[in-house]
Amino acid sequence: MATALLLASILAGPSTAGEDEDDPLEPFNRAVFAFNRVVDGLVLGPAAELYGLVVPSPARTAISNLLDTLGAPIVFINDILQGERERAGITLSRFLINGSLGFFGLFDMASEFGYVKHDEDFGQTLAVHGVGEGPYLVLPILGPSNSRDAIGTLVDSFLFDPVRYLASERLQTVRTATRAVVTRHQLGPSLDELERSSIDYYAALRAVYRQKREAEIRNGRPPTDAAYEEIFDEIFDEPLLDPSPLED
Amino acid sequence: MRSSMNRSSTPPRSRTEPRPAMAWRRRALLLAAAGLPLVVIVPATGKSQGEPAGFIRQVADQALRILAARDRSEEERIAELERLLERATDLDLIAKLVLGSYWRKATPAQRQRYLELFRKMIRKQIAGNISRYDGQRIEIVGSHEIDDRDTMVSTLVHGVGNEAPYRVDWRVRRYNGRYLIIDVVAEGVSLLITKRKEFRDIVSSSGIEGLLAAMAKKVEGQEAAPQARS
Repeated sequence: MATALLLASILAGPSTAGEDEDDPLEPFNRAVFAFNRVVDGLVLGPAAELYGLVVPSPARTAISNLLDTLGAPIVFINDILQGERERAGITLSRFLINGSLGFFGLFDMASEFGYVKHDEDFGQTLAVHGVGEGPYLVLPILGPSNSRDAIGTLVDSFLFDPVRYLASERLQTVRTATRAVVTRHQLGPSLDELERSSIDYYAALRAVYRQKREAEIRNGRPPTDAAYEEIFDEIFDEPLLDPSPLED
Repeated sequence: MRSSMNRSSTPPRSRTEPRPAMAWRRRALLLAAAGLPLVVIVPATGKSQGEPAGFIRQVADQALRILAARDRSEEERIAELERLLERATDLDLIAKLVLGSYWRKATPAQRQRYLELFRKMIRKQIAGNISRYDGQRIEIVGSHEIDDRDTMVSTLVHGVGNEAPYRVDWRVRRYNGRYLIIDVVAEGVSLLITKRKEFRDIVSSSGIEGLLAAMAKKVEGQEAAPQARS
């Protein structure tokens, strides 16, 4: 499925660089977006709600920690590939500490020792090495992405993920499903708020996804975002602010 | 001690990063920003660092007081939050920044309707969010000057539980001797950019009238419809 999407994005050719959002596959993306909303309404949303109601908060934290620990090898590999040695060390320490003292990853003991969690993925690694994001993509079930991050997701989950090699197929499925529900549960309030506050939820989510990814790729370093600064200049240095005169 | 183990080298901001302790936090599209007016509001823990930081502290404290005063009627609190918002931001300016170059192309009548609808949308958001406050607090962790007008004040928003705090940056402009919040950036997501992209996208596909109609429809969702179609 994802391969087909990638193919589609490549076939779509170079983007038509609009003035604002660059989204050459928008009609296709909107269709997948609509499909995802149906799936979310029927399955994922209710499952996440049930999860929040039935599973007590400490257990949810433990489940979330366990998923983190299982995902740590992927983060570690990407830390290394990005040349972030110190961060790789933190990820490794977290894995070792939480895997042992943290009772198979159920408790985040490493944070108590100052090894605070961070995330990395192969999409970010590609970005660090200069790969552009490519066309924006909405993936079935997985949601907002772009061709770079979609490739990243494939590499992370099929190549870098040790669970893929070690666990039975059934366990893998359980892990994937749990992760989907947990993620949906955690994102729920933010997504609801975005939907409530936006006129075009699709466009709003696209704008948020792009900014979020850029922030993640920077690893918290300050943005060097000329486009952002321009917004504040554009209008201020012109008489636009005067409510009175205009050209019509 | 702990901070030394955080992110390596890098500038001062790296230290102020939130602890992303939750799983999948990376993906958490923290949209406190989407609720600018709600101004995720919170009391003091950090000391103020310069005037813009002090300003943010003040605004946050006032907003928190209003939010926490659950004994008072919701309408009263909404009205008070709106007044605070009018003092702390320049909504007209933000509305114009959101529209960008399209502002120039709008007719005077369109401009006026746009500003009115923008305000109504913000109001609706305040009303929708006021009951969601549950004891978060804000810690000011730093501020840096962007240029001679603007300062970015960095804060951490702490929840009540043991969830990791998240990072919210406030862009503050000095304007005619006072301070105004002109953008809110939550975990790297700017409210202004998000709104701007969304709105400009609508204008480019369905024109300014199309945007105004969509805004009117959104506002009508909850209040009695203000009829302002042309």
